[in-house]
Amino acid sequence: MAGRGGGKGPSPDRARIAQNGPSGVAAPLAMVAPALVLIPVLVLLPGLVHGGGIDLLKEFLQAAITPSLDPLVLGSAVSGLGVTVGIALLGWAASALLGLALALASSRQVWSSCCGQTWPANFLRRLLAVPRSIHELLWGLLLLQLIGLQPAVAIAAIAIPYAALVARVLSDQIDALPSGALAALRCAGVAAPQALVTALGPPLLPGLLSYGGYRLECALRSATLLGVFGLGGLGTELKLCLQSLEFHELWTGLWLLLAVMLLLETGLAGLRRRWLMPRRLGLGGLTFTPLGPESGAGTRGMGQTARPDDLGRRGREMVLALVVLGPLLVWLARAMGVQPLALLHWQPLPNLGGSSWASVLALPWPQLVGSTLLLTLVAAGLAVGLAPLLLLVIAPWPWARPLLQLTWALARLWPPPLSALLLLLLLKPGLVTAALALGFHNLGILGRLLLEASDDYQAPAEIALQGAGVGPRLALFYGRFSGLARSYLAYGAYRSDVMLRESVVVGLVGAAGLGTQLLESLSSFAWDQLLGLLVVYALLTLVGEDLSDRARLQLLAPA
Amino acid sequence: MPVAPAREPVLPNPGPGVSSQELPWLELSQITVPGRGRPRLDRVSLAIGGGERVALLGPSGAGKSSLLAVANGQLKPSSGSLRWLGAPPARSGRARRRQQARIGTLWQDLRLIEELSVQQNLNSARLATWGWPRALLNLLWPLDTAANREALAQVDLGAELLVQPVSALSGGQRQRVAIARLLRQDPELLLADEPLASLDPRLASELLQLLLDQVTPRRALLLSLHRPDLLAGFDRAIGLRQGQVLFDQLASSIGPGDLAALYDGELPGSGP
Repeated sequence: MAGRGGGKGPSPDRARIAQNGPSGVAAPLAMVAPALVLIPVLVLLPGLVHGGGIDLLKEFLQAAITPSLDPLVLGSAVSGLGVTVGIALLGWAASALLGLALALASSRQVWSSCCGQTWPANFLRRLLAVPRSIHELLWGLLLLQLIGLQPAVAIAAIAIPYAALVARVLSDQIDALPSGALAALRCAGVAAPQALVTALGPPLLPGLLSYGGYRLECALRSATLLGVFGLGGLGTELKLCLQSLEFHELWTGLWLLLAVMLLLETGLAGLRRRWLMPRRLGLGGLTFTPLGPESGAGTRGMGQTARPDDLGRRGREMVLALVVLGPLLVWLARAMGVQPLALLHWQPLPNLGGSSWASVLALPWPQLVGSTLLLTLVAAGLAVGLAPLLLLVIAPWPWARPLLQLTWALARLWPPPLSALLLLLLLKPGLVTAALALGFHNLGILGRLLLEASDDYQAPAEIALQGAGVGPRLALFYGRFSGLARSYLAYGAYRSDVMLRESVVVGLVGAAGLGTQLLESLSSFAWDQLLGLLVVYALLTLVGEDLSDRARLQLLAPA
Repeated sequence: MPVAPAREPVLPNPGPGVSSQELPWLELSQITVPGRGRPRLDRVSLAIGGGERVALLGPSGAGKSSLLAVANGQLKPSSGSLRWLGAPPARSGRARRRQQARIGTLWQDLRLIEELSVQQNLNSARLATWGWPRALLNLLWPLDTAANREALAQVDLGAELLVQPVSALSGGQRQRVAIARLLRQDPELLLADEPLASLDPRLASELLQLLLDQVTPRRALLLSLHRPDLLAGFDRAIGLRQGQVLFDQLASSIGPGDLAALYDGELPGSGP
């Protein structure tokens, strides 16, 4: 890599930037700045410790290395895991199909090439904001009330919001594609469906598959979470074991779940490499932008050129995967006793209409919204800021890396409400406890992402600093983090938006904003309050989504 | 006269600038680096003393970059020994970093930190001696402005560039900032890996003169050249071909015959 060419004057853009100078915080500092929320947390922490459950916590940690190997326990854990995996797969598959259909239906390009109007696309997009804004847990609990306990409920609970999310991402990508190829085909008289598949299919495919893989990983986590709240599968078993303090049996289920999750993640990563798909960090911008100043570092998959005999291989393998997946899913649905038609039989509800709105207005709205936002802020700060900090801490010790990866895998996998329950053994219920539980879970997600991106990223500046005698931590901080900062923070903005939505799942810790109130209203069948809360929650998440989009565009705009 | 201590290096061909009383700034003995087919470096030995300006010549693939990578500690040879200022590379991390802080490398791809300003990049040369507090302060506040201004003045750049992000500079300006960073590090051994490769002739000769001017009796320079016609100003030239040292003699005594043997008839007139 030679240095840039000699003696030419700066381009007009550079001249403009040169006049304004660099703006904002230095890149590596910005990356770890969110960890500043640790300061108030650490200040408040001693006041929250009640230490009543320290022995239990120790027992819990010790049971990690002695899980129960009783065949009965193993059997029930495996069957629970099977149900969870089945829910995840079926929910994901349903959301993929539905999402694809909705994406095409809400894409402006598709509508304008089919019949010249774009208003249906815009209308559908607005409409899809509603299912998108409500967390799958809320969907699950609502459907549970409406339909009763059915396997189809958990699957629908995952499929509805996921389909809306997939639809949004895909329709944004479709609309971001240049329309030249499509227009050319239509001019030559090709019918709309064929033209769309030919012109839009190939450029869309890598992103579709990459995002689809990410969604499957999320689906597994969501299925576990739904189980914790009683919708079946391993999550239910985990919660029961925790509440009855059967730690050995708990860890049996946990290690099994970890094995499945790692298998899934490794498998998907392998498929990504094999089918030359971009890495997930590009997801932060909804369009696949390269990571760091060296283009191609983050989208290394796309930068590789396929060998001639490879060209058909990818397509054949994908078709093979579909052919295998189809019957597998059908068999799975039968084995779990999924009856899609059961979704149409709604149980009678008390009427929503004539209730008193006074009870809705009597809720302490500013407090609820405020504490939800605060919870999200603290959890996001912890998750986004601690991941790079931990990498810095272990920088001189390569042996600590696998340990950190394992901890993060466990954090990813362990549903936040269960972390919250564990923390309650040590800490009093409240906002900080909820934020710690939510932050820990997301730390696992962000940490893994950061490690992957960091491994992909060639950091010549880091090597140069090390050659000049700088220690490994400072070299990592100055040399590597500078290049990773923008993309990582963009992903952090996206994840913060998800955390706002997820704040509901730690509601059972108490004093955790809208989440707590929602769960209370659900369990006391206060439908009018519930409706009000859902509306406010949906509005909040939509605003958060918009803010996070803006932040991402700002961060990922070419400097 | 006391017998020379066992640590004193015994060189097959000590360069003309090295006095036997003085420890060489850089010394490589029988360095071998394996490669595919033939070794990248094959029993290379050389020594450079204080105040010397040494050019490294050779066709592409000769092993010049590998030699420089061994010299600055980045590449471990499979056999042979390396000594910096008389001492081998230390085992413990901290001692080794202290040694490396005295060696400055000018990389071919410059390796500046794109996202930071020129001032912050110049200060990063001092990171080896600064602790975390100053390293963090550097990202928040302009530090050592006077020293940075002086370094920029030495490379003929104005002080208004201090606040610019490196990504906004032109190619020639970036080269100079990289040299200024080297000056801020104040190393005793300067290594440069084809720093002039992609520059136009005028800028190339200016920067070359700049680098040569930096060499004081306290410093030494080893610079790999991709073109033999830039030899003027160097004391010594080492010719490397297929991983082996072909010649190691005074620059003034290099003749067309030596160059022909080195480049095997193909003079690199048209770029690397």
